Amino acid sequence: MTQFLLQTIWWVPGYALLGAILTLPWSTGIVRRTGPRPAAYFNLFLTVLSFIHGSAAFILIWGQEPQQLVFHWLQAADLDLTLTLEISPVSLGAMEIVTAISLLAQLFALGYMEKDWALARFYSMMGFFEAALLAIALSDSLLLSYGLLEMLTLSTYFLVGFWYAQPLVVTAARDAFLTKRVGDILLFMGLVALSSYGAGLNFSELADWSETYPLSPLTSALLGLALIAGPTGKCAQFPLNLWLDEAMEGPNPASIMRNSIVVSAGAYVLIKLQPVFTLSPISSDALIIIGSVTAIGTSLMAIAQIDIKRAISHTTSAYLGLVFIAVGLGQVDIALMLLFTHAIAKALMFMSVGSIISTVSDQNMGEMGGLWSRMPATTMAFVVGAASLVVILPLGTFWTVQRWVSGLWQVSPWLFAILLFVNATTAFGFTRVFRLVFLGEPQLKTRRAPEVAWQMALPMVTLTVMTLLSPVVPLRWSLWLSTTTPLANGDTLLIRLALPLLVLSGGVGVVLGATTQLRRGGWVRPTQVSFRFVQDLLAYDFYIERLYDLTVVSAVSVLSRVTAWFDRFIVDGFVNLVGLAAVMGGEGLKYSSSGRSQSYVLTILVGIGLLFLLAMGWTMNWSLL
Amino acid sequence: MMSTQFPWLTVLFLFPLLAVLPIPFLPDKEGKTVRSYALGAGLLEFALIIYAFWKDYDLQSSGFQLVESYAWVPQIGLNWSLAVDGLSMPLVLLTGLITTLAILASWKISHKPRLFYALMLVMYSAQIGVFVAQDILMFFFMWELELVPVYLLIATWGGDRRLYAATKFILYTAVGSVFILIAGLAMAFYGDTLTLNLHELGLKDYSLGFEVLMYAAFLVAFGVKLPIFPLHTWLPDAHSEAPAPVSMILAGVMLKMAGYALIRFNIELLPNAHLYFAPVLAILGVVNIIYASLTAFAQTNLKRRLAYSSIAHMGFVLIGIASFTELGVGGAVLQMVSHGLIAATLFFLTGVAYERTHTLAMDRMGGMAKQMPTVFALFTAGSLASLALPGMSGFVGELTIFLGITTSDAYSTSFKAVVVLLAAVGVILSPIYLLSMLRQVFYGEENVELKFSLSDAKPREAFIALCLLVPIIGIGIYPKLVTQTYDVKTTQVAAQARTALPLIAERPIHFTQPHFVAPSVIGAEAKELVSSVLD
Repeated sequence: MTQFLLQTIWWVPGYALLGAILTLPWSTGIVRRTGPRPAAYFNLFLTVLSFIHGSAAFILIWGQEPQQLVFHWLQAADLDLTLTLEISPVSLGAMEIVTAISLLAQLFALGYMEKDWALARFYSMMGFFEAALLAIALSDSLLLSYGLLEMLTLSTYFLVGFWYAQPLVVTAARDAFLTKRVGDILLFMGLVALSSYGAGLNFSELADWSETYPLSPLTSALLGLALIAGPTGKCAQFPLNLWLDEAMEGPNPASIMRNSIVVSAGAYVLIKLQPVFTLSPISSDALIIIGSVTAIGTSLMAIAQIDIKRAISHTTSAYLGLVFIAVGLGQVDIALMLLFTHAIAKALMFMSVGSIISTVSDQNMGEMGGLWSRMPATTMAFVVGAASLVVILPLGTFWTVQRWVSGLWQVSPWLFAILLFVNATTAFGFTRVFRLVFLGEPQLKTRRAPEVAWQMALPMVTLTVMTLLSPVVPLRWSLWLSTTTPLANGDTLLIRLALPLLVLSGGVGVVLGATTQLRRGGWVRPTQVSFRFVQDLLAYDFYIERLYDLTVVSAVSVLSRVTAWFDRFIVDGFVNLVGLAAVMGGEGLKYSSSGRSQSYVLTILVGIGLLFLLAMGWTMNWSLL
Repeated sequence: MMSTQFPWLTVLFLFPLLAVLPIPFLPDKEGKTVRSYALGAGLLEFALIIYAFWKDYDLQSSGFQLVESYAWVPQIGLNWSLAVDGLSMPLVLLTGLITTLAILASWKISHKPRLFYALMLVMYSAQIGVFVAQDILMFFFMWELELVPVYLLIATWGGDRRLYAATKFILYTAVGSVFILIAGLAMAFYGDTLTLNLHELGLKDYSLGFEVLMYAAFLVAFGVKLPIFPLHTWLPDAHSEAPAPVSMILAGVMLKMAGYALIRFNIELLPNAHLYFAPVLAILGVVNIIYASLTAFAQTNLKRRLAYSSIAHMGFVLIGIASFTELGVGGAVLQMVSHGLIAATLFFLTGVAYERTHTLAMDRMGGMAKQMPTVFALFTAGSLASLALPGMSGFVGELTIFLGITTSDAYSTSFKAVVVLLAAVGVILSPIYLLSMLRQVFYGEENVELKFSLSDAKPREAFIALCLLVPIIGIGIYPKLVTQTYDVKTTQVAAQARTALPLIAERPIHFTQPHFVAPSVIGAEAKELVSSVLD
């Protein structure tokens, strides 16, 4: 039985995919009589099934040696591309989280999408999304993971583009796809390069390979950078971070998934690729730089947003930035713990946000206020989620960071400074959102705001409890991924003061957020010029998007117009010119055939005369010429 | 030589041609009998193809199979000689599938239906003829036979600029095919023996200069058809002016004839010259990919955009052909099959959209997803396949080509890196133009200027698209479906191409500067060339 459950573990993504396929009769409109509900129930049922199967397997594998399932996908010549699945406590644990959050999100969607006519289509996409995520958790092959990351890109495209008739959605879906695609293709190049260097494309073999295969510093640096690019796009890191912000145009249940586990999927692949990054200091430095820039930049962007979803989603990038730093430093266990605590708490926050949006039918925080007394469960969820993300109360992230700065890992002052900054800024931002949405006088749209129906409340409360329990994981984490047990780095002043200082920074953030002046209504922009400049700078994401418009986007469109012009007027123009010359020549010559014999005789005579002269000149006067 | 088995290939070639004969006499007032008749003939032919290969084709053999050879015009040594191998077999299957579906797609043709379907069947026949002919003169006949119906189909049933497009098409390809004839005959008369058989031509020992000259001639001929930059400009015109079913065949089958011929003639018959030209092919492939992708992005006509995307995708075939590896050559064949399916899907769906909107200008469409959700979904699936999404056939083709070129030992690392990176730029450009196409046509608010009622896809139309999409996804998930049909053969082709490689090591030619290779060869050995030609 044990072996059966483990050997059939690949059914778990299969269930989700089956769910997606089963919805087809409803989403394509073949079955209309029953309404779209059965499609949703199928999906929920199959997600429950995959949760049960996954949980059983997780319990069985606990404490056991990892196993592998190998599928031979493509064999050509001496190349054997395999798709390998790893069955280990880590991979099944990751799968467990995916099934849990996805189950809750789908239940949540039952309420959130209640009135949407395309409910069945939504569920088929969610099922597809879930299947890809589950398979990434299991995958031990870079090729398979790459393919699945592309599936996630596709799902994001579909889910963001779900309401395809809305004007902002049109560009948001496309931008999400293109941004991630750039990262994915670079990852693909890394994959091709790895394969040509004879590396097996299995993650578990990469560690051995990276120790034995000699690569020039330049090659290993480039290889590392290419492999980083994929997760950079997926985890919404600078410079590929803007899609996440735009993707908030999609339905909220998908945002729950995207901000918690989808971004984590990218980081999960990054963690598995970590041995390659150790080959070159450039690639590990790049990870740290990308992570730092994103963590600082996006946590600043978050505090100036007006849209409630965007305000929260920017902090996702910031936390994933911290994960990038951890991977760059080789502290993969910390990275995985951060992912875990972040995923749970962020999913909870997005559920809370979803409840608010579905009740208020608005995403503009300036038009909200006073919701705390009307929506207690939602308020509770928001507070628990926020507190669990920020290092201030002993909840999820607090314990993860406690492990980080406990002295077991090398934590340099600059990293500590970044942690302090992100923590304080995030605390400030969350407090600001909390005040805008839940405190203050109720406004026009928040006056009649009942708590959400059970389909949304139940998953939200469940996840609140789960978030409160999540500290168990960092507390009992047994450092699965690190190859060597980290040594204590001594008992320096920094380490002793680290945690109190972090809590203090969170407290400062909250106090600042609680005391700063808020603007509501339509006039959310400050009147003071300098202040307004700063807020606009942050609210418009440091104008990165405009910068891209002016550089990459315009370069591509100008180039394409140039080649089109070249194609039409030079390449084709030359051909047409030849054709035209032939036609004109023919047209011109036709007037010479007048039908009068005198003119023909004249032509012949002139011709012969010319020839004669030429011949004479050739023979006699050659020397004169 | 008489084979003991049933002459399948002759039957496959002649059946559609003979099926044309009764068409003028069919009792048909409304054009409905003739279309059913043509579809029946197409289906029967497709069934025959499948049955013949299923029964008598051995996947494990790399040699020619179902061989037939009869003296046709013995005075000049012309034989009726047919055979298939791993290179042509998948393409014959592709031809059968796409042409049959194209007949089904032309259900709504009301203008001179008899002639239309007759021409479609002739084209069916000629395409199969091109893939199975084993005699160089016969190949040339088939190649020419194929042009006539295409010309008439474009010139009669095409769009507003159909005459311009059709004339351009026929001039380009006819000029190109002159080179086939000249080069083919030159090879036939080379040396002591006169032979037209492709296999025997491959056994002849040509001087290098002669090979280079022949290679260049074939390259021009097939480069027009593939097409290779800068010989491509007939294609956007022809594809965009042709009626949708004809575009399906043009993009789905006809471009593959050139890819097939490049492998069959240029690699198999002239491996030594291939060594010199391969880097040029790789560079031309990259140019095709990037140039056509960029140009595609600037097109506002739906079909022109897809036409340029076809050019870009054929660039990958060139890179695969230039790779000298089993993976690369196999990838080239796979890419041809896959692009055949994908391009046919997209052109077909474009036709579906055109029937409803009566325009191909993307800026005059918009918001069509609301009224045509099925077409939207199918179009999206086709576009995703075209941009090489994993799990679809385009990805497998491009993956194997990339792996093929990077594992090739014929080029320096820097050359390979540049080729791969630039080709990757093309892979990033393809979603840019495809997604912007989807955005302009389907997303957003409905365009009020579209006064026509946009009914969603009919079951027949959805069926055609699904017939193409199912193999696309099937190959993407389980590539062995197709790779096993050609694997043995492409391995042999790559091995043959590589046998010439050690020779090159002794020559003072540096592959690190591949772009200088071809010109310098021609310049340095001009004397030899001239003398060999005069011989």
